[in-house]
Amino acid sequence: MRTVAVTLSDSELVQRCRASDPEAWNELVERFSRYVYAICSQGFRLSPADAEDVFQDVFTRVYTRLDTLRDDSALRPWIGQLTRRRCLDLIAAAGRVQPVEEVAPDGRETSVDELDEAFAVREALAQLSEPCQEMLDRFFARDESYRMISRDLDLPSGTIASRISRCLHQLREELEGKK
Amino acid sequence: MNGDEYLDLRLGDFLERLGTGHPAPGSGSASALTVAFAAGLVAMVARRSADSWEDSAGVAAQALLLQARAAPLALADAEVWEQALEALETAGGDTKPKGELEQKLDLSAEVPVQIAEAAADTALLAALAAELGEGAYRADAAAAAVLAAAGARAAAHLVSVNLAIQEGDDRLVRARASEETAADAAARALDAGR
Repeated sequence: MRTVAVTLSDSELVQRCRASDPEAWNELVERFSRYVYAICSQGFRLSPADAEDVFQDVFTRVYTRLDTLRDDSALRPWIGQLTRRRCLDLIAAAGRVQPVEEVAPDGRETSVDELDEAFAVREALAQLSEPCQEMLDRFFARDESYRMISRDLDLPSGTIASRISRCLHQLREELEGKK
Repeated sequence: MNGDEYLDLRLGDFLERLGTGHPAPGSGSASALTVAFAAGLVAMVARRSADSWEDSAGVAAQALLLQARAAPLALADAEVWEQALEALETAGGDTKPKGELEQKLDLSAEVPVQIAEAAADTALLAALAAELGEGAYRADAAAAAVLAAAGARAAAHLVSVNLAIQEGDDRLVRARASEETAADAAARALDAGR
């Protein structure tokens, strides 16, 4: 049974990792593994084998260097930065692109920025109530109509647009609260 | 003409195309764009209402999504309609749907259903904007609802006359329900926007 609640903030998670809580380390890896893989595979289009190498290296560095993190709440940007550097090092070592500081090849950094934003939204979304998550997912991700949402969730169709707006408002507050 | 290029047409060029005598783009495409225009108006009203309406940003976001759903349906409709016409011509005078013809007609019925559904949602959102948006722009929201309702009605009509559609067909039921929803929303919006 997991003893570390997934609702722990990143700062709290860092503090528990520093206190050598093994469950916290598991949670950290679980929380950021998709993010790291996404940067590798979608942001830098690494092969699965290269992505695995970067993944191992990044979490090893996180483990050994966590004490150097100055702002505990900046865990995600820090892991993102570590991952990007390792990806670029790997690509540069293979002679595929220019060294790190000069690299902005074919919009890949933009792509990584978009990933950062997408993950931030995903995290904020997870903090909303289940009905809000469901409604936003149905309308924005699954392209469902108000009628369909109303039917499936057993809600008056005339209220769906307002409910979605309120959920978006909450989502914005969550996102701004994290800045 | 491929997808993106079609939507990249200047408005004047699109209008010229509508009047060339070529069957596509036709009424389905015009309906889809009408709905997209309506959704754009709702987004404008919501954005102009930011100071007085807490949920305005959420309404603007929904309106822009509906616009993004409706606009590509202009091309989709033109394509499936052209294919259906070609299949009809190939079939000669035999209008009884069979095989490939039936498949093409089926496809050409689905797009107007989607237009009608996007239109109903746009009309509902427009009604909300007409009721809660900034006073000076409520008439724009009401106009958006009327445009969306027109798009829904036209699209539902296209579904009803499609040779592949029989009375009781789920697509016709959906299209008519959307038409009704949009009409009700437009009436509400007009009342609120006076």
